[in-house]
Amino acid sequence: MAIHTGRGIASIEYPTGMNQNGDPSQAWIKVKPDGRVDVFSGTSDIGNGSKTIQTQIVADTIGVPYDWVTYDNSNTDSSPVCTGTFASRATFVAGKAVLKAAQRVRERILEVAGQEMEISPEDLEIDDGEVMAKGAPTKKLSVGDVAAAATWGHGELITGTGAQLNPYAAISDPTTGEVDGVPHAAISYAACAAEVEVNDETGEVRVVNLTQAYDVGKAINPALVEGQIEGGAIMGLGLGVLEDSYPYYPSAEHRGADFGSYYNPSSADLPELHNIIIENPSADGPYGAKGIGEMSNNAQPAAIATAVYDAVGVWVTELPITPERVLRALDARDAGGGPRREGKHVIFDEELSINTVGTGKTWTAEV
Amino acid sequence: MNIVVNGNNRTVESPPLTPLLHVLREELDVLSPKAGCENGGCGACTVLVDGTPRRSCLTAVGSVPDAQVTTVEGLGAPESMSDVQQAFVHYCAAQCGFCTPGMIIAATAYLEGGGSADRAEISEALAGHVCRCTGYLKILDAVAAARDGGFDLSTTAESPHTTVLT
Repeated sequence: MAIHTGRGIASIEYPTGMNQNGDPSQAWIKVKPDGRVDVFSGTSDIGNGSKTIQTQIVADTIGVPYDWVTYDNSNTDSSPVCTGTFASRATFVAGKAVLKAAQRVRERILEVAGQEMEISPEDLEIDDGEVMAKGAPTKKLSVGDVAAAATWGHGELITGTGAQLNPYAAISDPTTGEVDGVPHAAISYAACAAEVEVNDETGEVRVVNLTQAYDVGKAINPALVEGQIEGGAIMGLGLGVLEDSYPYYPSAEHRGADFGSYYNPSSADLPELHNIIIENPSADGPYGAKGIGEMSNNAQPAAIATAVYDAVGVWVTELPITPERVLRALDARDAGGGPRREGKHVIFDEELSINTVGTGKTWTAEV
Repeated sequence: MNIVVNGNNRTVESPPLTPLLHVLREELDVLSPKAGCENGGCGACTVLVDGTPRRSCLTAVGSVPDAQVTTVEGLGAPESMSDVQQAFVHYCAAQCGFCTPGMIIAATAYLEGGGSADRAEISEALAGHVCRCTGYLKILDAVAAARDGGFDLSTTAESPHTTVLT
């Protein structure tokens, strides 16, 4: 028996939002008479933090404190349409909708403030809840006073709507799959390096290190980005070595019925994690952001599989890489055969990717 | 029968074999213990019974008459959070939040029992609590730091595991 150490690397290219686009999000913002801001959106926050991030976007875009903004996504019937929280789109697509709505609210606040202050709106700016004359910050009016003037003096509601929709790219040539527009909105890149220990007697694979780099465009909330990366790492570890839903040996009746027999990672399975966040701004996301939801659990299984190959010289071509599969692969190798590595043929559209990313810049990190 | 929930005497009318989890959530309206797997595997329903962490889904209420039951509501309020609760906020250790009450209860019991800041020991203490969002790392960091207390809740802890390249 021996423990073998191996290292492997895998990378992914990830299109943010729905493939072929066509997934709208809308938002509506209104300002109360005291300057507090209500945002109505249909984006569900499933723990990914989109409520926090969209609140940050609205507060920063209008120029009011974060805690002045109430984000109401509690009612998808009365809220504007949001296609949903999937495909890493909540920050990228829905965040752009609230950004546009906030820009319109900001413009309307400046127009009303301009009338109140008798200064042209172009010569005004908003910071931390106050409208100020550019270059003469003592000439100022709070956003609350502006909203009160709109309500009680001008007889109007300061409001703004925003929507984000990248047009659906329909397939124009079924033979080649060619589409009649740009089929995705922003490309993210990620890489994962895995270090594993493989026990050649038990077949057990222990993941000891996952070092991962993610191009997120702009980390609007770095702690939440870390949460997505770290959570994705453990989901990817589960996909790589632990979690299986079908088939079960010797048949499906023997599948797990509870957490005692379904092997999801626990804190005891946690390897060393290193997160590298790369800010390579997108042209069309809010503040340059891209998505970091789904792509965070894609690269780990492949990186672990290559690390297993590095450790014991066999390719395990099915996930998860269970002890049984490792031992069968080792037996096959010793018998002179063994599974061959077969990958699908991938066409890389360099022009499309480069045009979407744009810079060709490179980054290096010591970890 | 009576139980004491977060310091308050409560009368229970559910039958004695009713899981404590259902008594808390459905009869007494104490909602922080979560009904996850309801067979002892996930840890989301964990509460302190006379100071010891117990799976409330597997604890018949009739087996703990007059017990002192503590849930996260009993550890602190938003304006007076316990050190462990503050650490979870400061380290951003919750995402969807479903596992968080059980994690905080288990971490509180671990630290009150003299648990150290050693990563492996904390990991062992929390290994019965499933989290599918966070990847556990921020939870372990929060528990390791919790004993120090005094967190600035207007800021988020810098992660020692992250490099940002712009």
